Amino acid sequence: MSWPLTLDGGAALGAGLLLGVAFGFVLERAGLGDPKKLVGLFYLEDFTMLKVMFSAIAVASAGIALLAVFGVMDLAALAVQPTYLWPQIVGGLVLGAGFALGGY
Amino acid sequence: MNAMRPYWSPYTAGVALGATLLLTYVLMGFGLGASGAFTHVAAALEGAVAPGRAQANSYIAGYLEAGRLWAQWVVVEMAGVVVGGVLGAWSAGRFAWRLDRGAAIGGGRRLLFAFVGGATVGFASRIAQGCTSGLALSGGAVLAPGAWAFLMAFMAGGFAMAWMVRRVWR
Repeated sequence: MSWPLTLDGGAALGAGLLLGVAFGFVLERAGLGDPKKLVGLFYLEDFTMLKVMFSAIAVASAGIALLAVFGVMDLAALAVQPTYLWPQIVGGLVLGAGFALGGY
Repeated sequence: MNAMRPYWSPYTAGVALGATLLLTYVLMGFGLGASGAFTHVAAALEGAVAPGRAQANSYIAGYLEAGRLWAQWVVVEMAGVVVGGVLGAWSAGRFAWRLDRGAAIGGGRRLLFAFVGGATVGFASRIAQGCTSGLALSGGAVLAPGAWAFLMAFMAGGFAMAWMVRRVWR
């Protein structure tokens, strides 16, 4: 149960910078820097966002689960987003509307 | 433009993004974010321009208490996202100054809609305490119920608004 490492200080910021670079690089290579692909789902024309997002969630959650099963990852030490159901539903509706308004 | 590389398969990109997210959880104990960085910047701006007003607002004051802007993890991570995006575009031969826009919209209206949409997304991210990165993606991966509720509402809001504004760009 040595993971997560829960880095702090300079190590955390250095890791944050590199993880951010990877995040931005992958999003660009996925085509999600293209506004038409970003909102394509809402016109049933381009499902890139859905495919990228759900395969990423599948890989990360399966990875976390496997690490936990083998006793490497301490699930209790992970920050899980708290549930505020109505704010999250209303925020989701408005945020989706904002994505669509941004358009292309 | 001839040398422009095609985008990755969405599944390849998804696996790479999932690996990045998994690594973030392993190293940090939390996931990737985006909107929090904008909130930190907005709080710092208000703190600089109207310190009294910023301190009087407990939400903004909480962000200011976190300390210097460049010591905030999510701010540094978002700076990395910009660098990574530029690297991705540049190394694929896609880096250029241009305004992507649909066939039926002029440049001014394109920017206006983009601004209003962006402001709406920013506002909504504070209602939900997260965005498509920090809540839907990162929360989805740790099976947070609120993240999945948010994701479904996000789709519903997007489909509804897209239908209403579809004639703006097509």
